[in-house]
Amino acid sequence: MAVAHAQREAPAASATRGPRRAVDVLLALTVADLRGRYGRGSARLFKWLFDPFAVVGVYLFLVTLILNRPGEAPGLSIACAVVAFQIVVTSIVSSMDSIRQRASIILNMGFRRELIPLSSTLTESTAFSSSVVLLGLMMAIYGLAPTVAILWFPLVVAVNLLFAAAIAYPLTLIGLWYEDMRLFVVSLARAMFFLAPSLVPLSQLSGQIADWIKLNPLTGLFEGYRDALLYGQAPAAWELLYPLAFSIVLLAVFVPIFRREQRHFAKLV
Amino acid sequence: MRAGVRLESLGVEFMLDRHSRPLTPMLARLRRRGTTAWGLRDVSLTFEPGESVALIGPSGSGKTTLLRVIAGVLPVDAGRLEISGQIGCLLSTDAGLMPTLTGRENAALLAVLGGLSRSRARDQLDPIGARSGLGPGFERQASSLSAGMKARLGIAAAWETGPQILLLDEVHEALDQEFREQIFSWARELTARGGIVIAAGQDLPLLGRMCRRGVLLRSGEVQADRPFKEAEGVYVRGD
Repeated sequence: MAVAHAQREAPAASATRGPRRAVDVLLALTVADLRGRYGRGSARLFKWLFDPFAVVGVYLFLVTLILNRPGEAPGLSIACAVVAFQIVVTSIVSSMDSIRQRASIILNMGFRRELIPLSSTLTESTAFSSSVVLLGLMMAIYGLAPTVAILWFPLVVAVNLLFAAAIAYPLTLIGLWYEDMRLFVVSLARAMFFLAPSLVPLSQLSGQIADWIKLNPLTGLFEGYRDALLYGQAPAAWELLYPLAFSIVLLAVFVPIFRREQRHFAKLV
Repeated sequence: MRAGVRLESLGVEFMLDRHSRPLTPMLARLRRRGTTAWGLRDVSLTFEPGESVALIGPSGSGKTTLLRVIAGVLPVDAGRLEISGQIGCLLSTDAGLMPTLTGRENAALLAVLGGLSRSRARDQLDPIGARSGLGPGFERQASSLSAGMKARLGIAAAWETGPQILLLDEVHEALDQEFREQIFSWARELTARGGIVIAAGQDLPLLGRMCRRGVLLRSGEVQADRPFKEAEGVYVRGD
């Protein structure tokens, strides 16, 4: 009993294969997830639209009134960090539950489970789109006209989404392996938010602290948004390349592990 | 249509930690490994076009594991598995439905996962709703549907994907008499076209009506592979 081998011939003509099939499955999983999470009831839609506004409001109050550190357009500066973090943390929360949430289909049929973390990120990206409204609103409130640097914005968003997707792979596995780790991981993610220039920009930090904080991949993302929208300048190369490299390493390590593990998910759920 | 399923010395292994919790290979490296249990061991079977086969045996004998490995839900840990043909399956008690989605939304998801493109799946939604016979229940959340209604929807969605191999695990036993007759009719239609039906369960009269061949499993191994009546006799007598 040493050799393990499974061979499946092409299915019926009605079925599609290859990348197109992967896109179909990914979109079907994402649409189902969106309907389940956000699709019914005005209260859920309200939460989806106003969650980032509420978070920015709390931090804005904290920074401007309690800490008394006004800075340059503090609302927009904080929004740049909150919006970037929002997609990361919602992707973490969503991915940690994603296998057990889909236990019914995992136990019922074979499909490419490595699409599940991508689907979690895609679901939360749709929610993330409401956050972009917040950035525009903050620019309007502070009277900041977009400069040519705004052309960097899509690239910053792309790196942000890639980072969220990359982190979803290990966390989907951790969520499956260690169910009770969810709160701990979310707390850890929140700690990473505060160990980055979230409430105050990097320019207001100095010395060794600023150097250490640059090691956090969220730092580059936060500053990238600020450069494109607040300072009107191109992001420094490290701000995009460091989180990009971090994401690529995560994907290179965890996608192969995920592929090997996904065949056994039905044994755990 | 030429459907076929061939298993050669097939094995499915379950690794457990010292608290008897199941492990995946990577998790087995992170946690202290306890024991190994074989869900299926050295199973060699061939299912030919036009066959209807019942998997029978006591609980824990490997019926569901065998169906799941054919469906691609579980991996082949040893031996060899060859499958030719599109698979339609209904393998879990909730019929693969997500409780927060409506019947229609579930049907759209199941149809794509079952092999259809998204556009083709959209076209099939009304036929799935009609075939399931759920009426207004098709637009309700799955959490509000009874086990029988879920099974109806799951089977209707599987059927509309045009399966050549139909796998049914006990869920069909939750169906009412009218829909059972419908399943028998579909099973006959499928096997007449050269497809394969493999059904597992404990309702022997129901399986006997649907299947001509019986495979008796015990402790993950094939104990008997005969015409259904004979295999049933071995099972009931406990030989």
